[in-house]
Amino acid sequence: MESSRKQRWKQLQSLFEPGFRRMLVISLLLHLLLPLLYHTPWFPKKAPLKPPVYRVNLVNKPVANPQAGRPEAVKEQKPEVKPEPVPAKPVKPEPVPIPVPVKPPEPPKPEPVIPKPEPVIPKPVPVEPKPEPVKPKPEPVKPKPVPKVETKPKPEPKPAVSKAQENALQQRLDQLRADQAKKQAEQDRKNRLEALRAAAASESTKVKSPVADAPVGMLDGKGDEAGVSAVAFVQEYIRQQWSLSQYQVSGSPEAEAILLYSANGTLIHYRFVKKSGNGIFDDSLVKAINKSKQLNQPLPEQMEFHIIFNLKEMLDRP
Amino acid sequence: MKIFRSTLVWLVASMLFCTPALAVKFEISSPGEKTIPLAITALLPMQAAQPGIAEDFQQVLEADLDLSGLFSLVNPAAFLSDAGQLTLSSTQVDFSQWRLLGTEAVIKGGYQLEGDDLTIELRLYDVVSRRLLTGRRYLGKKHDIRKIAHTFADQVLLSLTGELGPFSSRIAYISNRSGHKELYLMDVDGYKPQRLTDHRTIVLNPDFAPTRKELIFTSYKAGNPDLYRKEIYTGQESRLSLKQGLNIGGRYSPDGREVALTLSKDQNSEIYLLGTDGTIHKRLTNHYGIDVDPSWSPDSNRIAFVSDRRGNPNVFIVDVHSLEVERLTFEGKYNATPAWSPKGERIAFSRLEDREFNIYTIRPDGTDERRLTFGPGSKEHPRWSPDGRFLVYSLERDREKSIWVMRADGTGARRLSADGGNDTHPAWSGRW
Repeated sequence: MESSRKQRWKQLQSLFEPGFRRMLVISLLLHLLLPLLYHTPWFPKKAPLKPPVYRVNLVNKPVANPQAGRPEAVKEQKPEVKPEPVPAKPVKPEPVPIPVPVKPPEPPKPEPVIPKPEPVIPKPVPVEPKPEPVKPKPEPVKPKPVPKVETKPKPEPKPAVSKAQENALQQRLDQLRADQAKKQAEQDRKNRLEALRAAAASESTKVKSPVADAPVGMLDGKGDEAGVSAVAFVQEYIRQQWSLSQYQVSGSPEAEAILLYSANGTLIHYRFVKKSGNGIFDDSLVKAINKSKQLNQPLPEQMEFHIIFNLKEMLDRP
Repeated sequence: MKIFRSTLVWLVASMLFCTPALAVKFEISSPGEKTIPLAITALLPMQAAQPGIAEDFQQVLEADLDLSGLFSLVNPAAFLSDAGQLTLSSTQVDFSQWRLLGTEAVIKGGYQLEGDDLTIELRLYDVVSRRLLTGRRYLGKKHDIRKIAHTFADQVLLSLTGELGPFSSRIAYISNRSGHKELYLMDVDGYKPQRLTDHRTIVLNPDFAPTRKELIFTSYKAGNPDLYRKEIYTGQESRLSLKQGLNIGGRYSPDGREVALTLSKDQNSEIYLLGTDGTIHKRLTNHYGIDVDPSWSPDSNRIAFVSDRRGNPNVFIVDVHSLEVERLTFEGKYNATPAWSPKGERIAFSRLEDREFNIYTIRPDGTDERRLTFGPGSKEHPRWSPDGRFLVYSLERDREKSIWVMRADGTGARRLSADGGNDTHPAWSGRW
């Protein structure tokens, strides 16, 4: 039995080249060396689990080797972005649409127009001749329907028509003016909003670097490229796409996902390494990832990100 | 040859060392957007338009969802053409328009009024995943429009949080609008106040039965502060406990089979358990101090109460089975009216500081005490909404007492009861 084994081994040995054993030993030693070498400085390590928190400006370009600087610093390029919204203001000549054109239709309107103040307006009309028995004798009865129009008495000189009608007319005018002003204000607000949107870089312009003349870079940057770390950029970008309210979840959910981005910033694929088990939380992450399908900046190269999502920062719950 | 092999091995090893890291790992510990951008479009008529319906509905729904704190409502002025389309199927909705506005969820719907019969169709869409989250058709009368809005608000919360909202429940409270302290009922937004009692004396401390449309409260109607039970719809009323002395602070157990209350039949205020037939099941405390204001834990095993057994009034917890008592609050000179949250995580109570009460919460193990209310006025009698999302309480300011509601974290406080009376002792019903 034993002899047959030896024979087989000898046969095998005959197949090996001379020195094979030594090679085998060397290979074994090298494998043993691996764990030791892992701790040498020239062995590539993973990024730290919890990198420092940077405020990253998503307008700045992500680069492979960011230089020393500040991620929120702004490249001085487009100060013209701001003036764009301004054109909205000159449009202000609100007074133009003064309800003057509305005047003609007024006569027929006195009654049906004003639903709320109705009770106030029609009454004074019949009161005019017999207001004395009610309260004071003088005409102060009229001030009631005229809340703010004290300045209007001028057009009154010809009370040929009915004063109540005049008042109603005046009120209608005021109301129209107010509506117009409101619309204008709303329009202005919209314009301002538009302007803000158009100036997507406004965020960056608002956040001035505390250090004057700080270049665009990272606080711990050691490279030579003007830009922010791609990791910090992606981290901030996905964070901004993630919306979840503290009132939606309880406990401390945590999920992990791996996202692979191409160099042009397109999400190639993603998968969850671990889900939190909380449907609402996990669903919000899927949405955030979907919204991050295309980054607004290219990456220095194709990159894979292993992201841990949790609510440590948001929930100050114990 | 040897050199060649050695080099080969070395190269293989080097290749191993040079393999790049698998993935850059980092953590995102907070979402960038802490509210859900929600667009609520106006109800559109499915037949002839009727004035007021869409506006009333919108107002109630917006107020409810705003109170939830979950949403940032998208300005209707920014809505694009899809807002004007009655699209009740996700395939018809132009989600790209809503994406453009940064909206994540959109509510759309239509109504139809035939005579007094109202039909409202409502849809909640997820803009990002382009799918229907919930759809409901409500049939009712024209005056049910607020109720329908509240009910749909509950559904919206269910869809987005996994838990129903409390907006279609009711709030009971004590008010002196009629000249006497009587029991009232109102919607959670303070609408439709309705007087339930006409005892013309003093009515106090209402509490809802968890499983029935029924309330218990203390009334001096018969001269003694007795515990009464009242069926809301039939109006039938009976005395549940009429022991000599105090019969106050009655609180139904979570299963509705027992009532914890304070009795002073033995010349000292103690906490007892009563059956729903009024018989005493158990005496929970036995101390010469005054023990009042019981509040059940949701598992029915413990009861928080107020006692001055250590000097100042403080909140204590008694184990219903072992009768062991432990002290919960140590700060402040006067801690009162504890209310155990429906999920058991926290206990709310009011504390007197600088001549004013403020609402606090604390965990049942005595840790993590938090002050929820600030500002002028005395805030007392906190009670939880059935889902634990909100707290209702009474606020006394400028000699006027009113009912307020706030989120469980103390934000979003708003007044519920109308002017013109002193309103106190609110109690939030279960699911209605």
